[in-house]
Amino acid sequence: MERIHQGCQPAEVIERLRQAKGYYITNTARDMSQSDYKNRILLHTELLAAPSRERAGYFSLEITGGASVHVDMLRKQVDPFVKLRLIRQAMPTTMFQTLCRGVNLFGYRPYPQNVIRLTVREFAHYVDVWRTFDFLNHVPNMTAVFEEVALAGKINEPCICFSTGPEHTDQFYVNKVAEILDVTGPDIILAIKNHGGLGTPKRIGQLVDAIKQRFPDLPVHYHGHNTDGNDIGRIVAAVRYGAVIVDASDAAFTGYYGPPPVLTVMQTLKEEGYAAIGLDEAAIIETSDILTSQRGYYEQFESQIRGFQPTVQTHKLPGGAMGSSLEQAVKGGFLNKVPEILNKELPRVQRELGNYWSVTPGSQILWTTAVSNVLSGERYSNPSGDLRNLLLGKYGPFPFYQPEEWIYQKVLGDNWRQVLANDSGLSEIPDVDLAQEKAELHEKMGAEPNNQQLVLYLQYPKDAIDFFKFQEEYGQVHVLPPSIFFKSGGFEIGQTLYFTDPHGKEPIIEFGPSPVDDTGVTRVFMNVDHYQRVYNFQPEHSAVANETAVKLSKEEILDLASAGDVRASFSGAVYEVSVKEGQEVAKGDRLVVLEAMKMQTPILSEVTGIVTNITVKTGSSLHAGDRILKIDPVA
Amino acid sequence: MTITKKKILVANRGEIAIRIIRAIQELGYEAVAIYEKPDARSLHIRLAHEAVLLGNGPRRDYLNIAKIIRAAQATGAQAIHPGYGFLAENPLFAKYCEDAGLIFIGPSSKVIADLGNKVVARQIMASHGIPMVPGTANLPQGPQGEEDALAFAAQYGYPVMLKATAGGGGRGIRRVDSEQQMFDQLPIARAEALAAFNDDSVYLEKLVLNPKHVEVQILADHYGKTLHLGTRDCSIQRRNQKLIEIAPSMVSKPELLEEICHTAVKAARAAGYTNAGTVEFLIDQNYNYYFMEINTRIQVEHTVTEMITGIDIVRKQIQLAFGEPLDLEQEDIRPRGHAIELRINAEDPKNNFMPEGGKQVLVYRSPGGFGVRLDGIVHQGYQIPEVYDSLLVKMTVHGFTWDETVNRCRRCLQNFVIAGPKTTIPFYMNIVEEPDFIAGNFDTSYLETHPQLFYYDEDKSDVSKLSKFITEIHYRKHNPFSS
Repeated sequence: MERIHQGCQPAEVIERLRQAKGYYITNTARDMSQSDYKNRILLHTELLAAPSRERAGYFSLEITGGASVHVDMLRKQVDPFVKLRLIRQAMPTTMFQTLCRGVNLFGYRPYPQNVIRLTVREFAHYVDVWRTFDFLNHVPNMTAVFEEVALAGKINEPCICFSTGPEHTDQFYVNKVAEILDVTGPDIILAIKNHGGLGTPKRIGQLVDAIKQRFPDLPVHYHGHNTDGNDIGRIVAAVRYGAVIVDASDAAFTGYYGPPPVLTVMQTLKEEGYAAIGLDEAAIIETSDILTSQRGYYEQFESQIRGFQPTVQTHKLPGGAMGSSLEQAVKGGFLNKVPEILNKELPRVQRELGNYWSVTPGSQILWTTAVSNVLSGERYSNPSGDLRNLLLGKYGPFPFYQPEEWIYQKVLGDNWRQVLANDSGLSEIPDVDLAQEKAELHEKMGAEPNNQQLVLYLQYPKDAIDFFKFQEEYGQVHVLPPSIFFKSGGFEIGQTLYFTDPHGKEPIIEFGPSPVDDTGVTRVFMNVDHYQRVYNFQPEHSAVANETAVKLSKEEILDLASAGDVRASFSGAVYEVSVKEGQEVAKGDRLVVLEAMKMQTPILSEVTGIVTNITVKTGSSLHAGDRILKIDPVA
Repeated sequence: MTITKKKILVANRGEIAIRIIRAIQELGYEAVAIYEKPDARSLHIRLAHEAVLLGNGPRRDYLNIAKIIRAAQATGAQAIHPGYGFLAENPLFAKYCEDAGLIFIGPSSKVIADLGNKVVARQIMASHGIPMVPGTANLPQGPQGEEDALAFAAQYGYPVMLKATAGGGGRGIRRVDSEQQMFDQLPIARAEALAAFNDDSVYLEKLVLNPKHVEVQILADHYGKTLHLGTRDCSIQRRNQKLIEIAPSMVSKPELLEEICHTAVKAARAAGYTNAGTVEFLIDQNYNYYFMEINTRIQVEHTVTEMITGIDIVRKQIQLAFGEPLDLEQEDIRPRGHAIELRINAEDPKNNFMPEGGKQVLVYRSPGGFGVRLDGIVHQGYQIPEVYDSLLVKMTVHGFTWDETVNRCRRCLQNFVIAGPKTTIPFYMNIVEEPDFIAGNFDTSYLETHPQLFYYDEDKSDVSKLSKFITEIHYRKHNPFSS
């Protein structure tokens, strides 16, 4: 059987899937990056893999969507559209796939209808397969995306989010599929979105079977995570019962929370008698050979906790949220509480809040509530705005049952019945005035924006502007390899850097010495394209200039912070002071935000106490070790 | 008997000092540079045979006639070249040189004085039938002055220009649109003229709306021969300061340009002019032309004339000043092709051409190849002076046709890399791609009528931006992208 090429009409793609003798594979590179590398795999690396991935013959490459659109701009400094354009150039025949959060698009909150439609239209220039989900499986939350995808002539792949528990019956899911088909019509692919990697192979087999029994012509795409180490088992079961596409990715980058390796899936299914349609084993191996050399650059993004987590069956945290949640635990200093949170509190909160699907943004609500419940000592005493909105039904109705009244009372207050009566249910979000938004963006950018820039701005107003300004100053930094982009501690004198610029040329950049003159100015000497360049860095004046500057080690800074003496952990400018003197703060609360190179990093409190002496203000520039503020710890 | 080499003191700084030193050296003579303390590291000092520190400046020592004459005497220089700006058109400087037995490379002090006084100059020209913009004599002080001014404006209509009699180079000019403004502006103009030129005389001229600014280069020896080197167009200006100059004028009326050149020679003869000079004219929308003034110095834009005529004007200045006769005839001067000169300044066009004083040129790479000439002071590491002008380098390109010249100009601008200060390069890039400029259609309103020229990306070079980013990663040690 032939592989399906990019450009094939949706109806034809669906028809070929119905006729397929065997199965296809989607390479979920984006999900792998998000689940195991905090979404930080660079475009540079994806482009290295692109030629062999193109030859590998995947059904599609999932390369955008989820949290990646935001992280592309925020941490990787690449325009999400430029990324798609460049990978498309390198992979002209492979379909691209996205993961869209329905009404929440690629963000965390519902967007107005006209923003959703414009966003889908712009991304549809590059994205062929649209996997769309809603964390409450509330179909009306996805209809705007369905409509625009169909209008753009692209393939709709609506999801049923999958989870386990007494309510999660085949019947429930089959009815959900019927509800989706009522809206979309028959020419879709249905995705089973098993973001947690939940259930046994047997359970998944039963579910696929139930769906195929009822809808024999519906192509089913199984998506899972390998968090418990058993996703291959689920994949095999899914294919055995009729799934025609499954998700996996390149072995060289597989970790613990993302997809399993493509090749293992193929080897296993081959023995089972299923043909991998269009797939080229040699090209798949070649991709991993190329990627193996790159993995070392991403070590710092791999999860703090390594190893498979069979307990996911209890806590149900999705693979895509594992990395960021554990990172938060490390930064917030509560890594020791993680077992309690994951194994006890999270399952309890999950049940209490209606046993819905733990996936963005619902998974964040569950996680934040569980963390807050454990750290504060009193359950539901410090509810987030998002939890409030969940109870108010702002995201959609609870699928199975509502939380108990005491939770409403804790979260919404004693007059909760009144609040619920006045302000509950899905509310229509008014359209924004796109022309006016564009004019505002024009003013902020100082140049006429295109629709792609507008789309990014509408979803992440502040971060998009910061990114555009970054790009204006530093250019297309996505051409830099990870060896340069992630370099910490400076380069060596005489070191030559190698990369290819956006025009295909290889600039010559060599580092010279960086002497500091009498006035404290550091002069960084470089040789750029055979010409010397000197960059002057003014000394960063300390906020406590008259105090003798003491160089503190990272450990000393952390020790001081634990005693309530908060110091700058790196050189940068104060971007925001988040607290006031006299304010009570808890461990993990944000105190200030420091900025270096236009990147903002929050400094969190290591102790619980009262802020006493703030010695910085917004704009102060600090050296590592400089005083920020003091906290009187409360015993 | 010892043969001493001829030695010339260059009483200037910056690119023009270097330009003059080059001509002196090509004649086989020696050049003496002078400098003020802030210029101690300047390139012109390095190129000269010897150099004299005048004092701490800034500017006042370059304007100190006595110090400069002493420096010439101390170094044994026989002649002084004043360049442009500073003392170049100060008749006292020429006079002191003459009195000290030094050759002043320029016309006589009397000619400088006559032509420097706009009213005297107009009288001379009027008596020789040179066409002029209608204007008044010096306005009398007090109510009589106001009365004369109003009467003139009533006769020729507003707008009119109030000009400082001792002004020049575009300074000391005010536009007046109504009677009320006349009452308001007259005392202000006088006060300004007094402050700037130590002379509060002002006069009125009819304002020619959106004229073309065309000028004629003149060479005259001491033996009665006066030649012209054709026209230049300097219409592209901001606030009466020239930015781009071209040769010859793009006015497609050869007879008119020929007539203007003859008029220029006539004007120079009328003034008893010697050495090199420039006769400036305005051409209005109906192709009437008017005499404006004669500049008695080498001009910034002389390079365009040199490129199309092949004549080294500064060399000729020196030879003429030393008493040599002009060794060519008018028919020997055959301009060929077109030349464009761009003043590449360390300025921010978007911010009203604010100079970038104090900034350092981190990278300097200049274009090369056929038909391009650079006259500059800039070098890698050059610190933009805060106390002098912000001119980095003049780029002059020459081509056989106008199209070829504009395209060469664009190519050379693309080849320039100047990092550190903002420069006028990206702004010029817009001009050489602008259809009216490409078609040769421009007058003094060009910048006002083409505001789109001010939209551009400051630094288009990828490698510049990326190397800045890499340097930040290097310098800061903490890399926010890897955590």
